[in-house]
Parts: sequence; C-alpha cells; structure tokens
Amino acid sequence: MTRPVLMGLGCFLGLFAAMMGQNPAYQPDPDWRAPEEAASKPNPLANRPAAAAGGKKLFLRNCAECHGEDGSGILKKHSADLQLAVVQEEKDGVLYWKITNGNPDRGMPSFSKLPELERWQLVLFLRTLKPAEKQP
Amino acid sequence: MIKFGRLILFTLPTVVCSMAQESPYFVTYNHHMEEPGNLDIEVSSTTNVPRSGQKYYFAPYTEFEYGVTARWTTELYLEGQSTYGDSTIFTGWRIENRFRPLKREHWINPVLYLEYENLSEASRIQKEIEGGAPDVSSPNAELRQMKVHELETKLIVSRDVHDWNLAGNFIVAKNFSQSAGFEFGYALGFSRPLATLASGTNCRFCRENFSAGMELYGGLGSTLGFGLHDTAHYAAPVVAWLVSDNTTLRFSTGVGLTHESSPVLFRFGYSYEIQGIGNKLSRLFGAKR
Repeated sequence: MTRPVLMGLGCFLGLFAAMMGQNPAYQPDPDWRAPEEAASKPNPLANRPAAAAGGKKLFLRNCAECHGEDGSGILKKHSADLQLAVVQEEKDGVLYWKITNGNPDRGMPSFSKLPELERWQLVLFLRTLKPAEKQP
Repeated sequence: MIKFGRLILFTLPTVVCSMAQESPYFVTYNHHMEEPGNLDIEVSSTTNVPRSGQKYYFAPYTEFEYGVTARWTTELYLEGQSTYGDSTIFTGWRIENRFRPLKREHWINPVLYLEYENLSEASRIQKEIEGGAPDVSSPNAELRQMKVHELETKLIVSRDVHDWNLAGNFIVAKNFSQSAGFEFGYALGFSRPLATLASGTNCRFCRENFSAGMELYGGLGSTLGFGLHDTAHYAAPVVAWLVSDNTTLRFSTGVGLTHESSPVLFRFGYSYEIQGIGNKLSRLFGAKR
C-alpha cells in the first residue's frame, strides 16, 4: 500500500521538476492586444533611467515568482519570456497596459493595484532584461 | 482576565509564525484579487471601547486567502472572541469566494462575492455590518447557543483613479437560522499609497511602503425594516505598512457614528503572503526550479 503511494508521489514530484524550467517556447497570446490609445502612451520616466532600480525591486517582489528573476519565464507557469524580441519590441505603452490589465486567460493577474509610476518603473526595468549571451 | 490573556497568548504564536501585501481596508473589498497560486495568511483582531453597561472584548480571526485564478479568490476564516469578565469562545467559520466577471480594467470594476457563515451570535469580529447593530451586551453563554447559518452576497464595485482606490460594497445577507428577513449593509472606502515611486533600495520605513485611507461602513436594516434606524455605523481611518516583500501590518480606528455603534473599534491585522505555494511545496520535496 505504501509503495504505490510513494511511487505516485515520486511521479508527481518528477513531473513538477520537469515542468519548472525556463520558457523559451513562449507563444504570445494573439488576443491580448493593447488599444491604440494605450499603446501610444510614452513612459513618463523615460528620461530617468535611475528609476529602473526601483523597477527591479518591484519586479522581484511582484513578477519574479512567475517570470523568474531574470525574466526568462517559467515553463510550468506558461509565463512569458520577457527577454524575447517579441516582448522587447513592444512599445512602452503596450507593456504598461499589459501590466495594468493582466491576462486572466493565461493566468496573469492585473497589477493596477500598483501606483501608475511604479508600473512605468516596471516597464523601465523590463527594458534592461537581455538574454545572458547578448550582454556585453 | 486570565481567559482574556490566554486568548492573546494563543494568538501571538500564530502572529509570529504568519505574517501580505494588502490594501489597507479591513471591511471594504476592492477589485484587486489575490494573485493566482498565492496564499495569504492573516491574523487580525477587533477590539472595542465599550459603552456603559457593555464589556471590553477582543475578537481575533485568522484568514486564509488563496488565489485560485486571476479572477477567482477563495477564503476561509476561523474566528473567536474573549469578553472581559465573561469567557473565551470559538465563534465559528466562514468561507467566501470572490469572482471578477470582467477581464480588463474598466471605468468601474465589479466583483461578485458569495459567503457562507457558520457562526454563533457571539461573533464580534464585525468583518462586515449588516442589518441592525450586533449584540455586545448579552453573555457569551447565551449568545453562543444562537447559531447563525448565513448566506451573504456582496456587489463590490471599485476603480483606481490615478493612485487612489475607490471602492463600494453593497451587502445582502440571509440568516437561515432566524426569521430576520434579508439584511442589508454597506461599506465604502478610499485609499492611496503615501509615495508612488519605488526607491531602488530595500528600505522599510520609506513612504512608498505605507498606504492610508478611510472606510465608512454600517448596517441598512432588513426587509423587516429597511433604513438607518437602530443600526451601527463607523468611520475608520486605515493605514497599512508593507514591512517586507510579503508582510503587511494594518491598523484602523473606527469611530462609532450612532448610539448603536461601539464608541471606538480598534482593528489590527498582520498578514503574510506565500507566493506560489504549489512551487514552494514542490521545492520542499526536492524539485528544481
């Protein structure tokens, strides 16, 4: 009786371990699109790059659990690899809108509870995320 | 007094072991849900300043809040109370669910709330006030015999205006143990963080870690007598302090606005959020990230 339970538990944990890697195969949700008006918003902190440090702190507090500390995503969570070009090529306004609204169908909550400037700080920090091999 | 002290001693270890990044409200709900996969454990209490003829009480409760999905949060409450010069008792449990029907942020964001309560009339946490004023004069031995099987619904509406959160709740409750009809209540709240730009350091006492606001809540009678007559109402400044990334302290001083209200209600909350509890459990058993 004990052995089948242990084997089942082992399989379960093994599956968990296999699912915990990064998520380079992230496919963006084609239906998750910011309205044009939101997409065209400029980042009010664009000329204050030092504010990205606060963005990093916010990222580690609110985002790293699903996107990983380096932003590369976690396969088990189906979370976006934020280093990918498809994410980095998004306008600031689009990233801000996505942070604000979330995408509940894919498990991403809304972060409208954060003050507006803190959400823009997150956008600033997202711009600093680069794949390790591309860093100088 | 010994029993009163015993309840505090019973609660303290839980407080030390459990510590969430929360809105400052105690009574009002807004449209911000628990993040999916996160478990928020909160130990809170309600304490009164009594009117003449009433007694001091201390009513602690523990809340387990879990984000099932990005639009569905479920909670379990366990509660008790200790009345000075009377007794210390367990007053029951509640299960609540909140559903957010709309996917995106809108001008106004509705949330549907459904709760089942299995309590006694001795419950004093006053997590919400509906109907008339709660009975804080009768002895616990009498009140605990009066069971409350109640279904409670709320319409929560909330919006963020720049950095302000504005929230309103309309409550309808039906106690199936008594013929009290449907009871009504309300809660209104607004709050704002004290600073809106995060510093790059892990400071604990920076303004960005504090938020403050105000709650207004009370009963609106029942289908047997709708209105403000014989109901309790409070105006309560609230403040929250994000002590660490996942620990929040909250405090509120509610001032009674009617004769049926307690003159003052003190509320204290200490919450700890466990992010991705499923992942944490798997790591505990050796899985790698």
